[in-house]
Amino acid sequence: MILPTPEEKKQWEEEGYLVFENAIQGEDLKRLQNAFDYWADACKEEWLDRVEAGDAVATFYDIPNPLEKDPVFIDIIDYPSYYGALMDFTDHDLILLGPQVRTVAPWPVSYTGWHPDVGYDNPLHIKVQIYVNDVEPGSGEFGFVPGSHKPGSGPYSRPMRQESMTGHKTFPGKAGTAIMFNSCGWHVSMDNHSDTPRKSIILIYEKRTPGRIGSGQFAAISEYCQTPERRKLFSLDG
Amino acid sequence: MPRIDAHLHVFTKASAEFPREISDVWPAEREEPVEKLLDEMEKHQIDQAVLVQMAGASIENHRYLLQCLKEYPNRFLGIGLVPDGHPNPVEHMAELTDNTGIIGFRFSTFGGPRDIFAKMDVREFAAYPIWECAAERDYVLWLYPNAINAHLLPYLIEAFPQVRIVLNHLAVCPGAGKFSWDEFGRPQVQVTGYNLFMHTTYRLARFENVNVHLSGQYAFSKEEFPYKDLAGWHHGLLGGFGAKRLMWATDFPWILEEPGYGKLTTVIEELLPNLSEAELADIMGGNAKRILRFPDL
Repeated sequence: MILPTPEEKKQWEEEGYLVFENAIQGEDLKRLQNAFDYWADACKEEWLDRVEAGDAVATFYDIPNPLEKDPVFIDIIDYPSYYGALMDFTDHDLILLGPQVRTVAPWPVSYTGWHPDVGYDNPLHIKVQIYVNDVEPGSGEFGFVPGSHKPGSGPYSRPMRQESMTGHKTFPGKAGTAIMFNSCGWHVSMDNHSDTPRKSIILIYEKRTPGRIGSGQFAAISEYCQTPERRKLFSLDG
Repeated sequence: MPRIDAHLHVFTKASAEFPREISDVWPAEREEPVEKLLDEMEKHQIDQAVLVQMAGASIENHRYLLQCLKEYPNRFLGIGLVPDGHPNPVEHMAELTDNTGIIGFRFSTFGGPRDIFAKMDVREFAAYPIWECAAERDYVLWLYPNAINAHLLPYLIEAFPQVRIVLNHLAVCPGAGKFSWDEFGRPQVQVTGYNLFMHTTYRLARFENVNVHLSGQYAFSKEEFPYKDLAGWHHGLLGGFGAKRLMWATDFPWILEEPGYGKLTTVIEELLPNLSEAELADIMGGNAKRILRFPDL
């Protein structure tokens, strides 16, 4: 397990994020990209039908139940390059809440505004966003306000334009980059002015609290979770 | 400041003088005339209103609306309809807006690609000539987009920033097959528990020419008046669009029996209780007067 360096720990505490360049690379990245593209294509028509029926958001879509579609999506949950940091920050008591394997259409406006996901009283809630394709500046890259995860920071308002957020930082990156952030922090998807959809995977974790995830939630992938660590991560034993 | 009901419908019995389409909900003999509306407005201190055409989009179908606008030029402004696939929508719109009180038109489709990932060229959208005409002639576009059309809107809005847009009914975009009528004769639109619109139409707040009317709560709510389950939607719209771009409306006559016109005049105070007096006055009429250019009384 690759544990975070003192510098990384300091940045995590003070700024609320870490960037892992080339977190996934080589054959693993190709495997991930192939699975992503295959399933995104396979699921697209059904998603459009759901948009038409008013049952799905029109500006992005997630591959449904990705963990059951290809084991590569399971393997990235505890991928060595960032898993050690996740474990360290949660005192080795980490659970997965779920993955979002997401394709975001180019659109004149970002599909979301600046927001935190949880309040400061929530158990430590961490997201890891993995770029599946290269994400250039102005093509839907992740944005974060360093330090906004700390109680007492702010107050923050929601500006009309993403780039107007005070103190924000944007994170363009190559395919395989992983950005870990504290979900109390204010974050966003920047506008995508390119012609290229943004393909990314957002992994959602939390420090364990009793009963947060039922043992049936990830039962369908139980065969891929034979080690005690994985069974704990996926809450398979309650 | 006037109090203005920014979206409602009136119609009379179907006749040779006032031809209109009929349905189970508005059969030929049903009428919800302007005099009945004026009675309600009088009772509840509402000064002016936007009459939105229904029951047919042909020129002839607009006769009753045109008569109401002619008879009460200081009380009402009108929104017309354009028949689907009309060969010359520009001519149709011109005829209906020739000093008549009709200030714009209502649409739910834009004729662009269904595939949200397709390359978008607004000049190829079927609605492009309509938007171009609206920009040239200063029409208001009154939009209630179908769910599969919502993604097309920002491309058109970017192309025509001068066109005044009013998103109808809390900026909801109804899904196909999700529309029905309830036992009170009111439209019902089935929506998901998760608010999908905050990722589409709410995002249009960035465009200063886009406004929203706050109405139709009864159609989306799972609760009775005052529809507290929609308070979050109202707060979201207020946060995004601000109090200067929201307009209150009742959707008369569907609400006459339940909850009643009078109750709906208080729905904004119920759902946005922290508004200042000035903000409330803006939403209850000031914005409609300014944006739609209602005449002074």
